[in-house]
Formats: sequence, structure tokens, C-alpha cells
Amino acid sequence: MPTYEKILLKNMEQPGYTGSLSDYRKTGGYMALEKVLKGIAPAEVIDTIKRSGLRGRGGAGFPTGVKWSFIPKDHPGPKYLCCNADESEPGTFKDRQLIENDPHQMLEGITIACYAIGAQTAYVYIRGEFFLGAKIIQGAIDELYQAQLLGKKILGSNFNLDIYVHRGAGAYICGEETALLESIEGKRGKPRTKPPFPATHGLYQKPTVVNNVETLSNVPHIINRGPEWFAAIGTAKSTGTRIFSVSGPVNRPGNYEVPLGITFREMIEEHAGGMKEGKRLKAIIPGGASASFFTSEHLDVKMDFESVAAAGSMLGSGGVTVMDDETCMVAATLNLLEFFHHESCGKCTPCREGSAWLLQILRRIEGGEGRREDLAQLEQLSHRIEGMTICAFGDAEVAPILSTLKHFRAEYEAHIDEKHCPFRPNLALAMAVP
Amino acid sequence: MNHPVRLTFNGKEIEVEKGTLLIEAAKVAGAELPHFCYHPKLKYDANCRMCIVEIEKMPKLQTSCSTVVAEGMVVRSNTDRVKEAQNGVMAFLLGNHPLDCPECDQGGECQLQDFAHRYSPTVGSFGETKRVFEKEYFGPLIEKEMNRCVSCLRCVRYCDEVIGANALGSMDRGSVTEIGGFAHHPLDCEFCGGCIQICPVGALTSRASMYDYRPWQVKKTDTICTYCGDGCLMTMETIDDKVIRTSSKLGVGRNEGDLCAKGFFGYGFINHQERLTRPIIIQNGKMQQVTWEWAIKKAASDFMAIKEKYGPEAIGGIIGAHSTNEETYLFYKLMRDIIGTPHVDSAARYGDVNAHQALNAAFSTTCLMRYEDIVGADLILSFAGDMTETNPICAIKVKEAVRKNKAKLIAIDAFNTQRDTYKSHLPHIASLHLQIKMGTEGVVILGLIKILASQATPSPVLSADYIQRMKQATESISFEMIEAISGISKATLGEVAKRYAGASKAVLIVGSAITRNSNGYQNMLNIADLALLAGQVAKEGAGILALTDCPNGGGDPSGGSERPAPVGRENAGVVTRGKTLVEIIDAVERGEIKALYIVGDNPVRSLPQKRVEAAFKKLDLLICQELFMTETAAAADIVLPAASFAEKEGHYTSQEGEAQKVRKAIDPIGTSKPDWAVFSLIAEKMNAPFGFKSVNDIWKERVLSLPPAPTLEEMVSHIDAFCAAPRQFILPFAASSNGIKDLFHLQVGKTLSHAGKMSTYADGLNLITPNQSILIHPDDAERLGIVAGETIEISFPNGDTGSIQMPIALSNRLALGTLFVPEHCSMEIKRGLPFETDPVTHVPYGNYGQVRLSKVAVAV
Ligand SMILES: Cc1cc2nc3c(=O)[nH]c(=O)nc-3n(C[C@H](O)[C@H](O)[C@H](O)COP(=O)(O)O)c2cc1C
Ligand code: SF4
Ligand code: SF4
Ligand code: SF4
Ligand code: FES
Repeated sequence: MPTYEKILLKNMEQPGYTGSLSDYRKTGGYMALEKVLKGIAPAEVIDTIKRSGLRGRGGAGFPTGVKWSFIPKDHPGPKYLCCNADESEPGTFKDRQLIENDPHQMLEGITIACYAIGAQTAYVYIRGEFFLGAKIIQGAIDELYQAQLLGKKILGSNFNLDIYVHRGAGAYICGEETALLESIEGKRGKPRTKPPFPATHGLYQKPTVVNNVETLSNVPHIINRGPEWFAAIGTAKSTGTRIFSVSGPVNRPGNYEVPLGITFREMIEEHAGGMKEGKRLKAIIPGGASASFFTSEHLDVKMDFESVAAAGSMLGSGGVTVMDDETCMVAATLNLLEFFHHESCGKCTPCREGSAWLLQILRRIEGGEGRREDLAQLEQLSHRIEGMTICAFGDAEVAPILSTLKHFRAEYEAHIDEKHCPFRPNLALAMAVP
Repeated sequence: MNHPVRLTFNGKEIEVEKGTLLIEAAKVAGAELPHFCYHPKLKYDANCRMCIVEIEKMPKLQTSCSTVVAEGMVVRSNTDRVKEAQNGVMAFLLGNHPLDCPECDQGGECQLQDFAHRYSPTVGSFGETKRVFEKEYFGPLIEKEMNRCVSCLRCVRYCDEVIGANALGSMDRGSVTEIGGFAHHPLDCEFCGGCIQICPVGALTSRASMYDYRPWQVKKTDTICTYCGDGCLMTMETIDDKVIRTSSKLGVGRNEGDLCAKGFFGYGFINHQERLTRPIIIQNGKMQQVTWEWAIKKAASDFMAIKEKYGPEAIGGIIGAHSTNEETYLFYKLMRDIIGTPHVDSAARYGDVNAHQALNAAFSTTCLMRYEDIVGADLILSFAGDMTETNPICAIKVKEAVRKNKAKLIAIDAFNTQRDTYKSHLPHIASLHLQIKMGTEGVVILGLIKILASQATPSPVLSADYIQRMKQATESISFEMIEAISGISKATLGEVAKRYAGASKAVLIVGSAITRNSNGYQNMLNIADLALLAGQVAKEGAGILALTDCPNGGGDPSGGSERPAPVGRENAGVVTRGKTLVEIIDAVERGEIKALYIVGDNPVRSLPQKRVEAAFKKLDLLICQELFMTETAAAADIVLPAASFAEKEGHYTSQEGEAQKVRKAIDPIGTSKPDWAVFSLIAEKMNAPFGFKSVNDIWKERVLSLPPAPTLEEMVSHIDAFCAAPRQFILPFAASSNGIKDLFHLQVGKTLSHAGKMSTYADGLNLITPNQSILIHPDDAERLGIVAGETIEISFPNGDTGSIQMPIALSNRLALGTLFVPEHCSMEIKRGLPFETDPVTHVPYGNYGQVRLSKVAVAV
């Protein structure tokens, strides 16, 4: 099995590493911060991140340095950084590991990012159910204040920073960056129409950067080891490593940090230990619940932003869900739609109304009451949602439908023709929505 | 156009102002884009996705309501892609819709119907089970039918952004999103009806007109609301001779399409079953209906007989607040020129004359600013803590200035800063609120003058002489005294003076606390000095606005009997030509006036009841022209049924000085007649016909009779003369230094849902506040051991009037130690309150007093 140097999971895999400030400092922690505060201008930090090729790990893969450079330089008044620790994408559990085991790696990244964009206040917006994580981050922040690595005049520089932990209240949509901002502001977590973008009109309408936990955790390493080092890992346009969360009937489900650009085959067969005894791979969700399904034919697609996009899906949140041939694809899609329907915030028409409509049709098909016209209608409705909504949730909720209809249409037809689910013939489903 | 931007819309080259939204630009190109959530009054939310367009170089379709035009943009709304997307959104919106249009009050004026007609195929594609919400009610007047809701949030945004009541929010999420009150609390609603009006569909409808009409059956007549002096344009919607509802049009009128509870739900009095429909004569307490012919003949001959016997000065006249300019003019003409008496007065005497005469004395005009100046001001100094209640639309302008334009509001009043149900209680949104002791506005004004005079430097506008005079005049007034009386320290006054004078454009708004309370005229003159010293009057964007509750408040500036003094302060009084309101009553009492003609006014209610009733008994003749059998009408010999404002033509001049058309929406109820028609008949019977062919002729003559507006030079020299007059300031009687312990300060005033008596005939408004209660702060109530709804006893230390009983209601808006009695239920209370008249303007003051409260012993 090929092995690779780990960047983000490295510290925590050392025996006895607790994630405390002193442990983190022993591994060279906060040297990157010291380095920038002692002599790298903010613009230079941004340039360094740009040159490293680092791209967002939260979903959309937007180049991080470029995002930072959108923050107006001479804006009077406050600017903010929000670390997106809402990790709610089904099948994704890598931020949690970073938060619980090495919080200072993320916090150092936050601090450097704030220095670079000129923010004096940062929020860590953490998923409500991550109580342990929230406690750990708060503990780490307390340590930093005590060590005078947060607050006023950090390390004797003129740089001031406060970091606050803000716990979510359980809505998936609050991971979407503008809903996240609304939620911090104390409003209902519902996305805003973009433009304007957070870079100019973010938290409290002030310039704001939102970055994912993993994205920010990479920052200290790039400062310490240089952008060229980072850019040399992975592929030309997808640099560095990524942590993939592998789940499903594989022998070793879990988080794996690998350079971007290895194949799904390598990930599943080598790192995750292959399919469990007697199971055959049928489908892969390559990047969290919002990504289009792959099939066994996609095993040789490379796990980098471009290759996955070219093959019709996305790397998304890094959640790789593997399904075997005993899994009903209609049931799997229905399962996801139950989730999306439950989590649609209801602000915009196509998603609010469409999610319930799609769900009803899928329930009928899975429950044996499907009609032939349903498939065309599923497609039409999906196309009427795709690209028409305020936030990317709309695209996400139709991705499983459109991709399973494309790759596994026969299974849908079998449900309709046989008037029951071929995998669960005796299933009884409640039809009414909600 | 200051910054034109050129773009192409559906192939047409257009040019619009920079910053224009595409949905507005489309109109320039002749295209109306379908939309639900967009509303020009509100910040865009872009949630319905109906207004999408295709923009070159942008891969996704864009919402035109949230996209600002850019130079060279190429936009299309007529492509197949856009059409398919519009079909899609419509299909989503119609999917769960109950299609109950035949029984929906919005049917016929519904955006969903209109756009469905144009943007969706005739056959629906929804084959699933529909979502069903149960019908609910927001309070007594608003019906909520969420199955029809398109979740556009216009209602929520209107209530937040325009009214500031924050009564609504979206509840739950996803496909079961609905509109509701927050966390199932009772609605903090101000019943402005705005959410009903702005809802594009029939999800929110008025229960006051439920199922009464189909929108295409109503006749619409634009007219002016009579509930206060804000001058709101409203549309009366009528079927035959019944007013079905009132509404307003976006952006139109001085109210720009906003209304308040009284405007939206207060029309019920017009068709009230107790309206007088035929002339009545009352003899020995017995009422008898008579014909108009008979009544007019009797009125004319009785007038002539009394004139013959006692001379014309034995006849007096009073005209009320709801008469139009034309009618007031004609009434004066009838009384002065035909009957020949100078003793005529109008409802302006209840307080508006204080503002008008003082402002005229200082500036030679009362029109010193416009509502636009409120919105554009960077500072608003308000002596009207109850503006949301008394002049709600003016308050909306203040809220707009504060919320949208970040203006600072300084509120000086005797209310609590805290709010209760009214989130838009102005003191609550003030950046600086001076909670003064009740009735001490005048003292605070002098304090501000003293500070500004001590700091002012001479300038072309402020002569050294004037500043010196003001300094001297305030010398003997100490800040200690001011603080002892008003509760406001020198430091706080200094801060207010600094901010007021330092603002680039400041407006000063005064309400009834000044114009209708003791020392009102002098306080208004001092207001003029205050604004002059601060340099915040007679300047672009600044000024003084006096609020009034009379729809024609700006149209009858000096009442019927007086003319303002021409210039200056030395004779700051007025040239009295005839007796004023209270003097007329006094003359009646003395037997000097034998006949009284009262049109649309009810002195029995608004002046000390017993005194007026006793006086009326001495009259040989009392003629009362009214909508209802009021206390005054009941005391009359002849009662003439009057037409309401909905039944006549004319003009009202608002407090801003805007003369606006009142239009006839329905025929007069019964045989009632507009006031002007009655006056004409009487004149004719007295063999002195006016000869007017129409209301418009009266208007023309009245306009000609007005002195021309002063020119700029005239105004400047007038102000100079005003400044040159000597000054003498006397600290007004300290309202709070009474000495008797445990007294409450009581004020009578208007509420959000009631203004005087008329509103109590409007069923809609009665549903909002069913009980007539006295308001008290919860802590005071607790101290006295009384609970909401309990009846208390009110007694008067300064009189011998006995005591009265009334139930209480709790309100955090009231300061500790103060009480508030709504005017519509104040007649009994007023009997015990001290009564005086202004030494100069003779305005009656009887709305304030100190009272004692005690628990009513319950018999066991
Ligand atoms: C429905 C939805 C849910 C999202 N949830 C998350 C999340 O839980 N965590 C996250 O980091 N980003 C999430 N995102 C992506 C964020 O909007 C945003 O793009 C990201 O936090 C930016 O950080 P990055 O540039 O570092 O990736 C979500 C996006 C959508 C549309
Ligand atoms: S797409 Fe869905 S989740 Fe996103 S704003 Fe619209 S309704 Fe809310
Ligand atoms: S009536 Fe006015 S105050 Fe009441 S909920 Fe509607 S918009 Fe808000
Ligand atoms: S009630 Fe009316 S205004 Fe409010 S969200 Fe629904 S459709 Fe829009
Ligand atoms: S009108 Fe533009 S999205 Fe609703």
C-alpha cells in the first residue's frame, strides 16, 4: 500500500499527543504565526497562500488566497473571519477529527488568516452536536489568551485578535456560508442571495472570509514550509493533501489523508482495505451527500477537483460513501431526499416546493406506487431546481436524483413495473409529505 | 439622470440611472417582469425566483430584483430558457395551492392569478397530495390562510422595515414554512394593515371586509383620511353606498402608500347604523324627525328672529375638525357676512392655533418643512413621544430616517423609554431619550435656549443683539430650577443643544404635549427661538413641524375669530375680532349669546362637561350639525344630519400645509348633506344666497381670499423683526412641584386605534381595543396592589368633583407615577381635571392634572 507524508493528521498520530498548547508547540506550533508577525506583510501572506494553490476544503474548492485577496484593503471598520466548523454533510467527519485532536493547528491557521485580511475578530461556527469539539476549542482559546497568543498585541506586535466559539442549533443549512453569517448575527439561518458576496458584505454587512476547518488547518504548514513545498503535493491544480472520510461496506472505514489525485480505486482498495467479504461495489458518492453518484466504472477517476468534475461529480466535502450491490439505488436516493427535504430552509421557491414534490414521487416509487411518467417528472423537476435557487443546496438535492436516474435508470423502472422495491418487496411506506 | 448606465434589454437599448435594479430597468424597456417577493418599498430578498432573466456572460439565470444594472449589460427575459424557468417557478408555487380563488378575497387582484395566467401552462403537473395548513387568525382583524402563501416574506419585511413592529416572522422551515408571530407569542401588532396590503396573494386578508366583495365590483375613490393631520391619501372602495374597505397605493400620496390602524380599519363609522339620516327637532326632550325644508326654514327664521331681537352678536358659531376648507370658509362667511356676528371659532382652537399663531408670529408662515425633510434629516428633535399613536405616518417618516438613513432621534417627553406592545414606540428607538416630568416641556425648552444663547456666536442670521437679549432673558432661570422641575440636568441639556445645533440638517417636531397643554402658545414661541438659535429653521432641509389631529389642521390656521398679529413680539398677541371657543361658551353662560350653531364639534365632551351643559340650557337656540347623536346634538333644538368626508367634495390642508382633494366616494347617508350645502340652504333662506355653483367655486374664492405666501425677503425681514422684539421668559408653573404626596400625573390623549369619538363608531377599531381603560405602569399597579382589568377609583385633589371609577390596563410605555387616559373615554375624567385657557390664544387646557388612585373596596 502506498504511503504518503501526512500534514494535518501528523501531530495527532504521534503517541501521547493531546492537542494541548504545549504539545502543539513542541511540534513547532505557532512558529508560523511568529514568523508572519515578525516580518511578513499581510499582502505577502495572501500571496504565499495564493502561490501554494490551496483550495477550499469546505465544498466548492475555491482558491483560498484569491478569496482572501477579495477583502477590501482599506475598508474602514471591522472585518471578520468565520471558520466553518459546521460539518453536517452526511458521510463527512474529517473536520471533527481535526477539531477534537489538534485544535491549535486550526486556531493558528485562523490567526494567520486574520492577520492577512486585517480582521480582529474571528468566529468558529461549530455544529451544535459537536459539544465535545466546542469544549475543546474553547479550552484551546483559553490557553491562547493565557499565553498571550490571543487578545491585544499578540507576540508583541500591533496585531489584536479575539476568537469566539459560536455553536449552531442543528440546521444543516447553517454550513452554507451566508446562512452561517445570518445565524451568527442571531437571525434565522437562511442563505442570502449572492452577490453581494461575503468578501464585501459579510457578517454584519462587513468584509468577511468564510473558510473551512481543514482549509485553515493547512495554513501554518504552508507558512512554515513554503508555498512551493505545498504546491508540489497533489496535482498541478489540486495541490496538497485532503482528508477523505470513507464509509460504507469497506474493511477499514475512516479518515484518510492523501495527496490529491490518487484514484478512487487506490482509496477504496488500498487505504480503506477493500470491500468487505462478499460485497461488490455498486456506487460511490465521491464528495458528500451533495455530490452526484459514481459507479464501479469510475474507480479509476483521480481524486482531484478537476478529474472528479470532468467525470460529472464533485469532490465536495470529501465524504466518500461506498455502496454495495445489495443497496437499492432508489432507496439510497430516497434516503438522501428525506434528508434534503428535512433540511431545506424554505426560503426560495424551487427548493422549498421542489424538495417536497420530489420526495413524494420517490416515496411512491420506492413504495411500489410509481408511474412511468414519474421518471420524466423527476428529471423535469430537478432541472427546474438546478441553478434556480438562492444557495447551492438546490443543486445538491437534485444531484443524487439526476445521477442515479442516469446510471441506474433500470432500477427505477423495475420498481415501477414490478410495483415494489426489488430489494425490499414487502416495504410499506408512508406517502404523505410532510 | 446623474449617472446614466446603458444596457440592452430584450434587444432594446436603454439608459437608466446607476444603481437601478434590473427589474425596474425592464420597465424602461417596456417589459414587466413577473415577480412576487420584490417590492419597491422593501430591501430585495430574491426568494421567489420568479423574476429571473438571462444575462450575457453569466452562466446561470439571475434574479432581476437583486441585480443592479451595469454598463453594457445584455439582458433577456424573452428566451425559451427564461420561459421554461418561469414555468417551473409557477408550477412550484401552484403545486400546493388550494385553488380556492372563488372564495378568496384577493381573487381578481392577485399576483399569483395574474402571473399564472401568463406564465404557466393550463394543465398542472402536480399529482401528489397537497400540503394543508389550518386557517388561523392574527388577532381580531387579520386572517391567515397559509395554503395560499407564496412565502415571499413581503409581510414580514414590511412589518420589520417600514412599521418596525417586528410582529411577524417565518416559522418552521422547508415545505412547511409559514408566517407567524415569534415563538407563538401574541402578535405585537400595530394593525396598520400593511401586511395585508403588501401580500401579493390572499394569504393575509382583512377580517373587517371578509367575503364582502369581489375586487372588481368595488368603485375606487381616492381621498384623504380624516383621522389626523398627516394628510394620508387613501382609496375608498365602495359598493353602492357602502364603504367596503380602504386601501392605499404604493408610493402615492404624502404617506407613500402607508396607512395606520385608523386609516385602514377605521372606516366603519361611515356606514354605522346610528348615523343621523334626517333632520330632527328636539322639544322638551322629545325628538321628532322633520323635512329638510322645514328644518332649514326654522333655522333661518330663528336666526333672523334672534338677530332682530338681540342683535347679531347674540349669535355664535363653532365649526369642527372634519369640515373641509371650503366648508369652514363658507361657515365664516355665513356667520360673519350674512348673520353678521364676529363670534365664530373652530376646532383649531383646541390647540392648533398655538402652533399656527406662534409660527406665524416668528416666521410669517407655518409651512417650514416637508416630510421629505424628516426623512433626509441627520437629527430629529421630537417633543412628541406619542407620535406613533397620534400621527402614525409622520412617525413612519421618523422611523425611516432613523433606520434607513441612520438619523439620530432625540426624544423629549414624559413617556418611558421602554416599550410594550408597540415596538415602534418612538422613545424606544431614540438615540437619546429625555424622560421628563409630565408637562415640563416648556422648562426644558428654556433650558436649551439658555445653553444655546450662552454659546451662540453672532452671524448674519443671528445678530449679537438677539443673542444678548436671549442671554439676558434666561439669566434669572437657573439650571438647578430647571432640573428640579423637569428632572433634566444641565449636562444632558448641553448634550441635546450641542447635537441639535451641530447637526447639518435638523428638524424639530412638536406634538400635542406642547400645543394642547398649559402655556402652549408661549412654549411654541420659545420653540421658534430654540430653532433660530440652533440655526435649524428657515434653512434647506431643516425646520419645525407641529403635529395635529385635525385633517384640516393646516387649513384653518387662526380659527374663525382671530387674525395673527402682523409682526414681532411686542404685541405677540393677536387682534381679536370676536369671541373664541371658550369665550363663546362663557358668553352663553352670561346670557349674552342666545343662539349657537355648532357644526361637527362636541364641546360637551371636549370642554368641562357640566359647565357646557349648564350654559347650553340658557340658549334660546342651539343648532347642531352632526353625523351622530352626540352629547352636544342631544342638547340641541335642531339637529341637522351631516355627510361624512366620504360623502363630499372639498379640500383638507394637512399639518404640512398640503391642500389635498377630498373626493366623494358614496352618496350622503340617508338625507344627510355636506356642511357646505347646508350653509348654502340657510343663506338662501335668509335671502342672501352665496351663488356658488360648485364646491370648486368656493375653493377658488377661498384661495383668492388667502394672503399670498410671504416671499423670501418678506420672511427674512419678518424673522428679523421677531428677533428684534424684547424677550421675557418666565419659568412656567412647575407642574410637578405640587407638594401633595402620592399623586399621579394624568394625561388625556390619542391612542393608536382611537382618535376622539368618531373612531368608537368603527367596529374594526373597537375590536383592537375593546375596553376603555386607564393606562398605568405595571410597577405602580403592583405597588397599589391592583391587577390589569381591575377597576380603580380616581379622585382629584384640586377639585370638589368627587371621584370616578375605571378599569386599568398595564403599559410599560408609561413612566412611573404617570397615567394615560385615551381621549375617547375621557369625558368623566375631564370633569375633575383643572381647566384653564391660554392667556393669549385662549386655547382651552384641560387634558392634564394630578389625581389620586385608590383600590376599590370589594364588598364581600
Ligand atoms: C448547503 C450547504 C452546506 C454547506 N455546509 C458546509 C459545512 O458544513 N462546512 C463547510 O466547511 N462548508 C460548507 N458549505 C460550503 C460553504 O458554503 C463555504 O463554501 C465554505 O465554508 C467555504 O470554505 P472553503 O473556501 O474553505 O471551502 C456548505 C455549502 C452549502 C451550499
Ligand atoms: S436552495 Fe433551499 S436551502 Fe438554499 S436558500 Fe433555497 S430553500 Fe434555502
Ligand atoms: S398589521 Fe402592520 S403591525 Fe400588524 S403584523 Fe401587519 S404589518 Fe405588522
Ligand atoms: S403571507 Fe403573503 S406576504 Fe407574507 S409571505 Fe405569504 S404570500 Fe408573502
Ligand atoms: S421577485 Fe426577484 S426573486 Fe422574487
